[in-house]
Amino acid sequence: MTVDIHEYLAEFEDIPGTRVYTAKRAREGYWMNQFAMSLMKAENRERWKADEKAYLADWPMTEEQRQSILDRDYNRMLDLGGNIYFLAKVFSTDGLSFVQAVSTMTGMSVEDYKAMMIAGGRSPIGLRSKSTGD
Amino acid sequence: MAKITHGLATSHIPAIGAAIDLGKSEEDYWKPVFAGYDWTKDWIKNEGKPDVVILVYNDHASAFDMNLIPTFAVGCAEQFKPCDEGWGPRPVPIVEGHPDLAWHISQCLVLDEFDMTMINQMDVDHGLTVPLSLMFGQPDAWPCKIIPLAVNVVTYPPPTGNRCWALGEAIQRAVESFPEELNVQIWGTGGMSHQLQGPRAGLINAEWDSRFLDRLVGDSDELRHVPHIEYLRETGSEGIEMVMWLIMRGALGEKTRCLHRHYHVPGSNTAVGHIVLEPEE
Repeated sequence: MTVDIHEYLAEFEDIPGTRVYTAKRAREGYWMNQFAMSLMKAENRERWKADEKAYLADWPMTEEQRQSILDRDYNRMLDLGGNIYFLAKVFSTDGLSFVQAVSTMTGMSVEDYKAMMIAGGRSPIGLRSKSTGD
Repeated sequence: MAKITHGLATSHIPAIGAAIDLGKSEEDYWKPVFAGYDWTKDWIKNEGKPDVVILVYNDHASAFDMNLIPTFAVGCAEQFKPCDEGWGPRPVPIVEGHPDLAWHISQCLVLDEFDMTMINQMDVDHGLTVPLSLMFGQPDAWPCKIIPLAVNVVTYPPPTGNRCWALGEAIQRAVESFPEELNVQIWGTGGMSHQLQGPRAGLINAEWDSRFLDRLVGDSDELRHVPHIEYLRETGSEGIEMVMWLIMRGALGEKTRCLHRHYHVPGSNTAVGHIVLEPEE
């Protein structure tokens, strides 16, 4: 079974509210993600907490990327090539759980997001495809 | 001769690990999650006790950063330490490997035309340690040897469902050519439906998950042909982890029987799924 890579990648753009972590995103976000990885070491977390701007200056990323990290704007970080598993090191260092961090991307309060999950989560209806609206 | 006796699958949600480590498993929120593992915990202590577990999981940017992206990697070391994912390592035992069997499987797989990566030094994250905690509780040492099999499901494209299933089939052949008498289990982990990113985060599709569980049982091989885009649309961006369950399923041969099944929403952001299968002749 041979898959056409162009069609394969193009379909990802049709999914509402989702950034699939493709090679293109991985390349754009390389240093953001490597920066996030560095927070797996306790001594780096201390340096990061002491002066976030100075810590970021050591990583060759764009100003936009730096700002999105300082703002903890996770949707923006994803737009600029971040990956959630890498960025998890940033919110873990902030003392946030996945639920707390993930809810910030949905425009809902943490409480409303938690309540939605307890009620069975977000339905896929209407969120499968931008083009068909399914 | 070694033999794959059973296949298990389970979600590997980090918050489940935290709930166990912090003694919260009796809280109302977590009770129904853990209740579905009681059967397995009892079974695995008794008649279901394995000598070795081949534990299929994905690394969540812990051992592998963006410098190395192996599609399939076999842990061949004597030991694997729990890693620090940003809040300190989980207080769980060191994972003891089975280098003889791990290298045997790796060699067989390469000759069987699966171009594996072999790893001699690797820390393991919640993807591997949460399933161990779910099945074995909080012992001083894990009761069996563990061979980590890490699959890339982070950077696209991950392996296809069909390739995962075929790898499982090759693992079964490899295990059966190992001369020592060993009860080997294979565990598929991750999933079920969940999305951890973007405005669509929180997506759950219980109906799709249920059909996925149905099709792991019996002689259906339909799941081989589910394309990535279907996981993404139907089960959320992180639902793709379910391709790892297909390695487990493939390793059980043509037909399976279900011993136990559990499903609960939510565990944190995720649909918790768990199944215990055995090959049926």
